[in-house]
Amino acid sequence: MRALTISIKHFIAVFLLFYSACSPAGEAVAVVEELHAALLNVMQQAEPLGFQGRYDTLAPVIQSRFDTPLIAKVILSRYWDELDEQQQNRFIELFKRLSIATYASRFDDYSGESFKTISVEELKKGRQLVKTELISPKSKPVRLEYLMHPNEGNWYIISVIADGVNDLSLKRAEYAVIINDKGFDNLIGELEKKIQELGDSSPKS
Amino acid sequence: MLLTRLNHLIKIFLILICFGLVSGCATTQTTAGDPDPLEPVNRASYSFNDTLDVYLLKPVAETYAEYTPELVRDGLTNFFDNLAYLNVVLNSFLQGKIDQGLSDATRFIFNSTIGLAGLVDVATPMGLPEHEEDFGQTLEAWGINEGLYVVLPLHGSDTGGNLPNLATSFFLNPLTYVTGVVLFPLSAVNIINKRANLLEATNIRDEAAVDPYSFTREAYLQRRQYLIYDSNPPVEGYDDIFEGEDGTAGEESGVLKIE
Repeated sequence: MRALTISIKHFIAVFLLFYSACSPAGEAVAVVEELHAALLNVMQQAEPLGFQGRYDTLAPVIQSRFDTPLIAKVILSRYWDELDEQQQNRFIELFKRLSIATYASRFDDYSGESFKTISVEELKKGRQLVKTELISPKSKPVRLEYLMHPNEGNWYIISVIADGVNDLSLKRAEYAVIINDKGFDNLIGELEKKIQELGDSSPKS
Repeated sequence: MLLTRLNHLIKIFLILICFGLVSGCATTQTTAGDPDPLEPVNRASYSFNDTLDVYLLKPVAETYAEYTPELVRDGLTNFFDNLAYLNVVLNSFLQGKIDQGLSDATRFIFNSTIGLAGLVDVATPMGLPEHEEDFGQTLEAWGINEGLYVVLPLHGSDTGGNLPNLATSFFLNPLTYVTGVVLFPLSAVNIINKRANLLEATNIRDEAAVDPYSFTREAYLQRRQYLIYDSNPPVEGYDDIFEGEDGTAGEESGVLKIE
């Protein structure tokens, strides 16, 4: 009888472990809404925060909610394996900074915008697509779709599609041209320049 | 005068149809191995357009945007969009979207009349939304795919399959039949106003892009697919780019391949 009880306990423990591995804690939609809340926050306080303040506020959310190593690998596609570990890490780090700087630069004012979650669709391999809209009183809504990927019990954003345009595909095409024509080091130089420009072009607080 | 122009345009139309159909038979770039077989020629056209834009069109559009009240710009945008809308009406019907076609036709009539010749968009608040349809999307609906990516001098990004749309939109736009002294200033305002409306988008591109040509091409082609699916592309394939993310990412991607 005792042996049976132990085996049931084992079964439940194994089941729970397996279940938690398959079904990440929290909802994918909560991750997207957390990002949206952070974006609204920096938009509403855009001026007092300035570029650096927006960058610092968004950094923890973007760092923890985007699976940047996976994104980096997909963006560099077949070039990824040609890089050594140090170069790969350099690219991941730089790409992280570029993503944060891009958000900090683009979400630099507030005119009554809001985000609305529309629906969640299941994709293969346990991934999900969270469909949302950025609603602006002055212009047409922008459809923002987030491709969500479960990894080690958490949901991560791996791609953002704005009105049908996938930022990741654009970068993949562009970076391939730069690496092909000018080499990896040149791409790194270009990205560093971009990050610098994004900071410079934003009004200071 | 008008007849001479029409004669000339019919020739262009025929050339475009031939080009469009020939390229329409080719595999669409988004699924082909080579994403841009015409790249050398396209890059030359892109460079020409970009130079013209940087030194002439963009500075004029920026000045125009700075000194023109938003109300006037909105009115002009509505006016020119409405003139171009007959092409949307026709293509909605040609794609078999009867309800949408009727809604688009009613939209055109309301905006042209009670909307003060199109200056005010009265139709949208009445539940007659604006749609984006063109002849390229119609051909796609008929099974003729988009064809190769092309960049035309003075026109910009397009696809081979959509080139006949240059002709349908031209012939269906009442501006085409305007002659005399009004034609030039009207066309000039249309071009400048359109460019001004794109300033934000191009500024974002300039801010983000490390290779503006590929950036523009990918954004344009993805946007075309989005329009072809009426803003609801099938979710299957969304994450193909992540297939085999353990090192073989994108091998089966239908969106983009880098060869």
